Amino acid sequence: MTIEKYQQETKGYTMTTVMAEAARCLLCHDAPCSAACPAHTDPAKFIRSVRFRNFKGAAETIRENNALGSICARVCPTEKYCELACTRTEIDCPIDIGGIQRFVTDFEQNANMDILKKGPANGLNVAIIGSGPAGLQAAATLLTLGYGVDIYEKNEKAGGYLTYGIPEYRLPSDIVDIEIQRILKLGANITYNVTVGQDITMAALKADHDAVIVAAGASVAKTLPLFAGNPYVQSAVDFLAEVKSNPTGVDLPANVLVIGGGDVAMDVDTTLKLLDVKNVTDVVYEEFAEFKASDKELAGTQKQGVTIVDGYVPTAVNGNTVTFKHRQLNSELTIEADKIILAVGQQADVTNLGIELENNELTHGGFHTDDPKVFVTGDLAQGDKTVVVAVQKGKKAAEEIHRVLGGQTND
Amino acid sequence: MIKKDLSIDFLGVHFENPFCLSSSPVGNCYDMCAKAYDEGWGGVVFKTIGPADFEIDEVSPRFDELTKEDTPFVGFKNMEQIAEHPLEENLADLRRLKTAYPNKVLIASIMGTNEQTWEELAGMVAAAGADMIEMNLSCPQMTSHAMGSDVGANPELCKKYCEAVKRGSKLPMMAKMTPNITDMVIPAKACMAGGADGIAAINTVKSIANVDLDRKIGLPIINGKSSISGFSGKAVKPLALRFIQQMRDAEGLENLPISGIGGIETWEDAAEFILLGSSTLQVTTAIMQYGYRIIEDLTNGLMHYMAEQGVDHLSELVGLANKNMIPAEKLDRDYKVLPYIDWDKCIGCGRCLISCFDGAHQAITWDEATRRPTVDPERCVGCHLCKLVCPVDAISAGEVVMKAGRVGTAASKEI
Ligand SMILES: Cc1cc2nc3c(=O)[nH]c(=O)nc-3n(C[C@H](O)[C@H](O)[C@H](O)COP(=O)(O)OP(=O)(O)OC[C@H]3O[C@@H](n4cnc5c(N)ncnc54)[C@H](O)[C@@H]3O)c2cc1C
Ligand SMILES: Cc1cc2nc3c(=O)[nH]c(=O)nc-3n(C[C@H](O)[C@H](O)[C@H](O)COP(=O)(O)O)c2cc1C
Ligand code: SF4
Repeated sequence: MTIEKYQQETKGYTMTTVMAEAARCLLCHDAPCSAACPAHTDPAKFIRSVRFRNFKGAAETIRENNALGSICARVCPTEKYCELACTRTEIDCPIDIGGIQRFVTDFEQNANMDILKKGPANGLNVAIIGSGPAGLQAAATLLTLGYGVDIYEKNEKAGGYLTYGIPEYRLPSDIVDIEIQRILKLGANITYNVTVGQDITMAALKADHDAVIVAAGASVAKTLPLFAGNPYVQSAVDFLAEVKSNPTGVDLPANVLVIGGGDVAMDVDTTLKLLDVKNVTDVVYEEFAEFKASDKELAGTQKQGVTIVDGYVPTAVNGNTVTFKHRQLNSELTIEADKIILAVGQQADVTNLGIELENNELTHGGFHTDDPKVFVTGDLAQGDKTVVVAVQKGKKAAEEIHRVLGGQTND
Repeated sequence: MIKKDLSIDFLGVHFENPFCLSSSPVGNCYDMCAKAYDEGWGGVVFKTIGPADFEIDEVSPRFDELTKEDTPFVGFKNMEQIAEHPLEENLADLRRLKTAYPNKVLIASIMGTNEQTWEELAGMVAAAGADMIEMNLSCPQMTSHAMGSDVGANPELCKKYCEAVKRGSKLPMMAKMTPNITDMVIPAKACMAGGADGIAAINTVKSIANVDLDRKIGLPIINGKSSISGFSGKAVKPLALRFIQQMRDAEGLENLPISGIGGIETWEDAAEFILLGSSTLQVTTAIMQYGYRIIEDLTNGLMHYMAEQGVDHLSELVGLANKNMIPAEKLDRDYKVLPYIDWDKCIGCGRCLISCFDGAHQAITWDEATRRPTVDPERCVGCHLCKLVCPVDAISAGEVVMKAGRVGTAASKEI
């Protein structure tokens, strides 16, 4: 098994090719792309800076609006956000905004720029549960406003699904590490291997801090009752975490069955193929017309040679043999595999955190809970479950705390 | 976001930053100049004001552009003369601008028809509140030969009219040069002798940008005919820089105060004008294409450049490159720099191969199987045409090699 393909990110722009892409931008007066970025990363402004060869200014625009700018550049479903709004689509195809953002943030890194600055200390401290994108952005925003920030993370590394979910070929660990280092350098304290509610109580966090943010995400895999206790089964997020933490350490058989049709399932499929698994069969509940995964992810997966069967539900399991029935047609399918990966969604685990959720999110909009000191953000708050929206919610939750605690903005 | 002091003093006037609208339609009236000030421009050179009795009657259409591949506005041709608005209205706008924006710099561009009108206009714009005067000795498409670049090409008239303007007002004054001459040092010296405090350069270059092939008429077409007229924008930047260097290099003009103009679009262009001796900068074409908002990247980019250079005052950068331009006969011709081709970046298009064979010295060989180029160090003369045509920046300066029989070491060369 070779891991090179799994670790290889697509090529980025060079100075010449990024200028060509920026030159395609129409520099619209009312820039719909900027209005469509959930985190207000302001693509219109940074692309204009690239057009006028002000790469450092472009980096400032990205970084000041989005503490995870290099990550979003790589993983944002831009086709749902900024690029969906791009006026250039009326001519041919949208500007590759993610690609330009990646070039600029790489430039920022090569130029050793330190854009975010810690605000003068205001004497207030905030605890954050979870170091996924929402927790990290909340930390960055609070630190620039002068707060002390303590992050508690149940895993041994920070990053949430950035570190334990999104595969290496789409998001290199080095990039995630650099982004986390920036936030540590701003002054965040992270305590690893601590599960709040188990190793330390919520009451203790509240006693020591002026506010607590719960950014625990949907960090646990869902499962299907049919597969309970089955030794051939692994959850998608556990599989992706295992590969990302130690790609040379996983031992994969020749036939793998994947069940699920979201972007996570597509990541599993592609990862298996890049790791040279011979037969990857993905059976999906939805039919192609109602597919959950984006067209881009689906196309990429099919290109890798994965067999995707749509419209089937598992009805019986016998060890490594699964029988499916078509949802509309009178059709049955039996597949025997060496390994079964379930990609049927993730759920929240907020045991002992004193928070009420319904369908893994708050029952109301915003970030407040019944406890005036406790706030919720990221995937646990209402809204899209994507990195960029987690960033936006992290920023907004931090700003809300700042408003509630009576802070003044320092600029 | 970076913050650096971009302010500079020029001819005794303090500019919060060196960027000004150059005299043209971008600074035609109160509302335009106010918007430019609000968006961050440090100064405005108001559209050239002429005598009340000189009637301006413009053509339509009045512009054309030079393109290359899919790049618009490589250069821009215009057929405009001076302000279309009446003298009284222009003076009223100057008064309003100075009242509303007392800390921004307001420069009046004027153009007389004879000594008397030059003198009168100088007095009028001074009374209206201008901080500085720019003499337009350089518009190449005036309908009168007693005006514009015909005057700027005549050193005696330049001197005489500068003296007239200095009689009309005590304001600091710069004379704006035409590039439609061989040696700009002659009119620049004549203007300084006539009392000018500094020089603005350049105005537009006489041009024909395109010809309609079916109708056999230059563009733009005005009732079946066209005219030679002024060219500006990115394409004229190299010409402007050359004239500025030649003036700063001339005996007696070493510290000539200059307002640099011609093709400025990015902070890098601006920095080049500064390094070659410009203290302030003026822009038209890039604003006509993109709007006043380009000031954001001009100022922010220049601030980052100052930080990189470890400089706190813009004035420390003025003219630093002048001494590094020397006559061709004094350049070091003892070595060549071989190109280095990075095969990881190379995408195998073969453009370097074609250009080297057809336009240079047949020094690149091609592996048909791998589609990768290799440089023959013997045949290669180190011209770097290959580096310039590479679409993915895969070619850079590589090994320095001494030419046979030359003294000195490759390592000592500043390539
Ligand atoms: C495989 C996969 C691929 C994805 N790909 C993309 C993509 O390409 N683009 C995109 O935009 N989105 C993608 N997403 C979605 C995205 O990752 C999430 O929306 C985002 O990570 C949510 O951020 P968060 O900070 O709310 O939570 P998470 O990233 O889930 O982080 C939560 C953190 O909290 C920690 N935690 C949980 N409970 C506790 C506790 N009690 N005590 C201490 N720590 C705790 C967890 O260990 C974790 O580190 C993907 C998700 C997955 C699973
Ligand atoms: C449409 C147009 C009108 C102009 N009118 C004037 C003018 O009235 N007075 C003047 O001194 N220069 C005039 N110019 C010249 C500009 O001020 C400037 O010197 C020249 O365009 C070069 O700068 P640029 O490349 O930034 O445009 C005009 C230029 C253009 C394009
Ligand atoms: S730019 Fe304005 S003035 Fe010129 S032709 Fe168009 S509408 Fe008319």
